[in-house]
Amino acid sequence: MTPPSAVFKRRIVIGALMCVAAFTLIGARLVGVTLLRGDDIVAKRSAPVFRARADLVDRNGALMARDLPADDLYARPNKLADKRRSARELAVATGVDEKRLVELLLGKHNAVLVARRLAATARQKVDVLRLPGLEYTPNSKRYYPDGRMAAQVVGVTDPDGKGVSGLEKGLDSRLRAAAAPVATSIDTRVQFVVAHEAQASKDEFRARAAGGLVMDVRTGEILALVSLPDFDPNARDFTDSDTRRNIMVQDVYELGSVFKIFSFAMAIDNHTVRLDEVLPIGSGYKIGRYTIHEAESMPATLTARDVLALSSNIGTAQIVLRSGAERQRAFLSNMGLLSPVGSELPESAHPLYPKPGHWGIVETATIGYGHGISVSPLSLAAAAAAVVNGGRRIAPTLLRHPEDARGGQVISPETSATMRDLLRCVVTNGTGRKADVPGYDVGGKTGSAEKNDGRHYQSHKLVTSFLGVFPIEDPRYLVLVVLDEPRGTKATAGFALAGFTAAPLAGHVIARIAPLLGVPMNPITAAKENS
Amino acid sequence: MIRVVSFFCVTLMGLSILTLYHISEQARVARQDLRNTERRIAAEQSQISVLEAQWQKVAGPEVVQKLAEGSLGMNDAATVQLSSLTQLPRRGDAPAEQVHVAAAPVPAAAPIVKVSMRSGT
Repeated sequence: MTPPSAVFKRRIVIGALMCVAAFTLIGARLVGVTLLRGDDIVAKRSAPVFRARADLVDRNGALMARDLPADDLYARPNKLADKRRSARELAVATGVDEKRLVELLLGKHNAVLVARRLAATARQKVDVLRLPGLEYTPNSKRYYPDGRMAAQVVGVTDPDGKGVSGLEKGLDSRLRAAAAPVATSIDTRVQFVVAHEAQASKDEFRARAAGGLVMDVRTGEILALVSLPDFDPNARDFTDSDTRRNIMVQDVYELGSVFKIFSFAMAIDNHTVRLDEVLPIGSGYKIGRYTIHEAESMPATLTARDVLALSSNIGTAQIVLRSGAERQRAFLSNMGLLSPVGSELPESAHPLYPKPGHWGIVETATIGYGHGISVSPLSLAAAAAAVVNGGRRIAPTLLRHPEDARGGQVISPETSATMRDLLRCVVTNGTGRKADVPGYDVGGKTGSAEKNDGRHYQSHKLVTSFLGVFPIEDPRYLVLVVLDEPRGTKATAGFALAGFTAAPLAGHVIARIAPLLGVPMNPITAAKENS
Repeated sequence: MIRVVSFFCVTLMGLSILTLYHISEQARVARQDLRNTERRIAAEQSQISVLEAQWQKVAGPEVVQKLAEGSLGMNDAATVQLSSLTQLPRRGDAPAEQVHVAAAPVPAAAPIVKVSMRSGT
């Protein structure tokens, strides 16, 4: 039998060992919590700035939209000694209606919302008051530093931070998920120039609306997209003239003679025209019971090259009728003009054109010079980019994508090169002279379309446009400008045709953006045109 | 022996309690400091975020153009007045009398176009 002292001794040793084990465990836990898990705690506690959506930046990293902290202010009325005085002071600081605030503070609620999305300056004023019982809950407000300048393309969010128009809606899921800024294809500098010049032309010609876009014909990137009238994205209220409608994307127009680009591209690609052949023009061209007229007086005959340069409807109708309705429809469909053009913008427009059974000889002729078919300006730009970029399909994009994105061949490279020559001829010898910019070899086409009121074409209501490409030898950028119902001025001798309204606008835009974009100047043509 | 062990254990326990309290107190103070620092960082980040947005507004092309026109009397230059380094003749490539003529002359017929007179002939 074991003596009692030995039993006690063993128990004490066991107790001591348990104590040591317990303290060892506690020590190990302390080391673990303080040293090993320290980073986790810091990571958990370092809460980032409250930001619901990622920033939108332009192609150069300039900020276009950002969520700024704008906390909601709550008050606990039972902690306020003088509720009426507090309401008055808070109303002054926050801009909230004092009467509503008094009612809220005198009510029976434990906590009341004083103001949503309080600006930083207002918050500073509130903090100075040092009122008890005020609390903030984190919130944010979308801020657009460029204001109206890019409002139509960037769009806006609703009070809950959900995109409702423009890229804010088109890239909504991406902006919510992304931590890093989302880079758009827009170049803020180019956007400003187009917006500035479009506004100046809209004012000068008292147009209903004006728009413009600049597109890289190789990558499909849209560097600028302007639609006037616009709106202030930082203000919730619209003025009478403000609109969120983007005419370059959402509206379809009969764009007139710019469509001749496609008629000539089709004819040259199909070998149904020789550029040196002479076509009779005359004073009218009868098709059935309809007679096609010219917008301006024309010589009795013109070469095919001059038909495009001087924008002859009669000459174009004759050329396009050689291809016929079937081939014309197939060609336009292949160019993407008979379906809505895709982009990151949620807004789009379906083109309007005759159904196959109604696409007869008259429609073929009129569509040849841009009447009887309505497309969105963005759709027209994408198709025209394919004509001049070597004949390869290109999809417009509003996301930064500096790589060559040209797709399959839609016309031959030779046809594309011929079209570039013809477009240059329009600017040097034709209707687009006012779009010429010394040294930058601009090619392009004017378009003046009479608006249709549903029954008749109205000769005094025009949609004028100019589609320009530069440098024409190896095109990089396409500029499309549109003026809705411009009016002639004294300086234009009352003419409102595209050559007097849209072409100068495009010229001003190109003259300002070409140096910005680093387009090399052609010293030969610069010197020649100067002399 | 038992007394020694017991004394050692009790001493160890006492020291551990004191050390634990000390560490706990240090951790509490550190946590408080951390919280304050995080709050300051968040406030600074918010201010930076606001300042960046404000900077973008005041350094935007619209404001710069207004200042350039209003304060400096600048206006759009004709494109032929602009050049780039790549277009400048290299010293050895051109006769000396041509080297200093870097830009083409301003066209007489098409001077600087102001917005208000853009549609002029």
